[in-house]
Amino acid sequence: MIRYISAIFIVLLMLLYGFCEDAKANAGDNPQGKKIYDSWCSQCHGFKGDGDSYTKDLSLPRPRDFSFGVFKFRSTPSGDPPTDADMTRVIRNGNPGTSMPPWVRFTDAEVKSIVTYVKLFAPDTFSMEAKPIAIGTPPKASADIIARGKELFKTAKCVECHGNAGRGNGEKGWQEKFKTDWGYPITPANYTQPWDLRNGSGIEDIYRTISVGIGGTPMTSYMDSLTDDKRWALAHYIKSLQLTRKPGVAVRVKKVEALPSSTDDPAWEKLEYLDLPMGGQLMFEPRNFTPVITNARVRGVYTDKEIAVMVEWSDKRPNKGGDNKPPDGVRIQLPSNDKEGSERPYFYMGSRKAPVELWQWQASDENGAMQLTAKGYDAVSPVGTRGLSAAGTYNDGLYRVIFKRAVSTGNEGDALFQAGRFAPFSVTLFDGQNGEEGNKGAISAWYFMMPEPPTPMRVYVFPPILSLCTLAAGIALHRRLRKKR
Amino acid sequence: MMILGIYPALASIGLVITVFAVIWKSPFFNFVGILLFIYGLLKSVALIMPPLPGQVMVMYMAMSVFSLIVYFSIEDKTFKAFLEPMRAVIADDDKKVLRVILVFVALPLFAGYLTYTKVTPTYEPPVSGRIIHPEPPSQIEFKGNTMNVIGLENPLRKDAANLAKNIEDGKKIYYRNCFYCHGDDLDGRGHLAQAYNPVPLPFRGTDTIAQLPESFVFWRVAKGWRGLPAGAGPWNSAMPSFEDFLSEDEIWKVILFIYEATGNKPRA
Repeated sequence: MIRYISAIFIVLLMLLYGFCEDAKANAGDNPQGKKIYDSWCSQCHGFKGDGDSYTKDLSLPRPRDFSFGVFKFRSTPSGDPPTDADMTRVIRNGNPGTSMPPWVRFTDAEVKSIVTYVKLFAPDTFSMEAKPIAIGTPPKASADIIARGKELFKTAKCVECHGNAGRGNGEKGWQEKFKTDWGYPITPANYTQPWDLRNGSGIEDIYRTISVGIGGTPMTSYMDSLTDDKRWALAHYIKSLQLTRKPGVAVRVKKVEALPSSTDDPAWEKLEYLDLPMGGQLMFEPRNFTPVITNARVRGVYTDKEIAVMVEWSDKRPNKGGDNKPPDGVRIQLPSNDKEGSERPYFYMGSRKAPVELWQWQASDENGAMQLTAKGYDAVSPVGTRGLSAAGTYNDGLYRVIFKRAVSTGNEGDALFQAGRFAPFSVTLFDGQNGEEGNKGAISAWYFMMPEPPTPMRVYVFPPILSLCTLAAGIALHRRLRKKR
Repeated sequence: MMILGIYPALASIGLVITVFAVIWKSPFFNFVGILLFIYGLLKSVALIMPPLPGQVMVMYMAMSVFSLIVYFSIEDKTFKAFLEPMRAVIADDDKKVLRVILVFVALPLFAGYLTYTKVTPTYEPPVSGRIIHPEPPSQIEFKGNTMNVIGLENPLRKDAANLAKNIEDGKKIYYRNCFYCHGDDLDGRGHLAQAYNPVPLPFRGTDTIAQLPESFVFWRVAKGWRGLPAGAGPWNSAMPSFEDFLSEDEIWKVILFIYEATGNKPRA
């Protein structure tokens, strides 16, 4: 009898155990993780963690499908699952250049519960042990180590994908098979724009990325092919390519004797510039939710007669308008009839009441310029060159386009440039590879450019006079007081 | 922070000078010490709160100089002692080196520098004041129909049976239309937000939608930049007119969601 009872008891216990195991897989013991995930992660990663979500077709890159079991951002050898610390890092820091933001609002315990919950979507992957590689102390940056890294950048074939200048424009990046394991096209990283580096832009981040690669992408692990010190040298070189953005509201346009002759004239490098963060055009159809150009760098010079403005931006693949893709291009927008006290036109394409003029250049015609006027996004019409000229070049992933015009055209209503006056401007950029044309582009807010007046004479005259007067007064006082004493 | 750290040090030096000046009975160095102490103290304020504006600093310092001079000139004897170090530097034979350095070099250079900062033209881009919370109109045209904004209520709040579903619908609308700018976490830090000026508003926190009735939010969402009065700078705003993309029902749903997700309540 006892035997029967024990047998039944054991069976019951096993059933109960099995039930518990099941419940675990459904996050029964992690209600907090499920709650936060469903509220704050599911919108992009999907309730089932498969990336089938509200934003799947509106984010570039697409939100990660966890159920696939491959994880991009790891500190573990290729093929291994990420550590909890890796997943925490992604949640806390976000992935720059994507729609994954840094989640700073959650407590450490809450982030831990999210990590635990996400791991349930890929039980097979996480059944393996995650052993991170050792990231030692980075060697100090020096001209020497950077030079070594630069050499390795070529010999280790980084250039093939990331391009000569590290702008992600390498030939190999555009082959048909250059895709992720999820089957989506992917582009090599542009090292010059640290604000877009998904896996972080610090020296350790770069070292980690080189060492273990990025899971599910053509970026493989260089752990076995490059020694530790070579990977650090490479990391230092890559870090040295990063630009520092110069944000602001206005850029000064300097007066010179003669305008620079071409886009690669070293005179450009000495000029003050302004970096414009770019966003999608979201106000009118077709809206651009997934712009890929994130920065425009603007600078200018002028002479007595002419003004030249240069716009510079990164583009991983040039498009001249073939292969069913629109050409790359740029537009500078300036207010027409911009008089004292007049209403500022709408920052994108003006309005019926306040029109704008557009200076346009397209990669399909490298030395061609076009002017357009716009009275709103739906009322844009070309008006010929009207004295505007343009020249553009594409080198190592960088577009540089110069617009040139007379400082004063004499035409009523043309955009106005006067020394000391802040002229409003905004920029629209088009990446043909991303299908951008017309109203589907990357846009900026209004900024200003100010032709800087020559320094007035009084700056050189008055300070010395005042100095001499003070000196004279001092001497006089000294003489008088000394006599008195 | 590193630079701010020198101000408390400056104040301490001022205090030390003051103490020694009192011991050695030198009104002039007493004056210098107290001024240095006050300056260091006022600047140190920046360690715990926003720094004092330049004009306020000038005013405080001028007041300090004035009252200290009044204080030191009440008695003839003290005032004489106060002026003594200055007279000594200007006139005495044994102060020649100090005189050359201070009176004949430093002071003229300083005067020149001050003049230079005054006569050099500075160019500041135009700043236009902007009304952050513009008055809503009493009526709006919504997709060709006239709607009264005053007294407008969210009809979906009464539908308790479908509230959860409507909020989830609102969430979907939010993440397909709004999150690029207003943020994944509704904190105004969307991945495209920094391109636009003014920057998109956060909904989290107690100073935006928590201060507004839903009718106001409906007006802002429905009309966007186009509906802003001139004082609010419609020409800068990247807020779309969502009547172009969403139905009335959808706008009410997304409004339900932004309040629910941030834990805020609309103002009645």
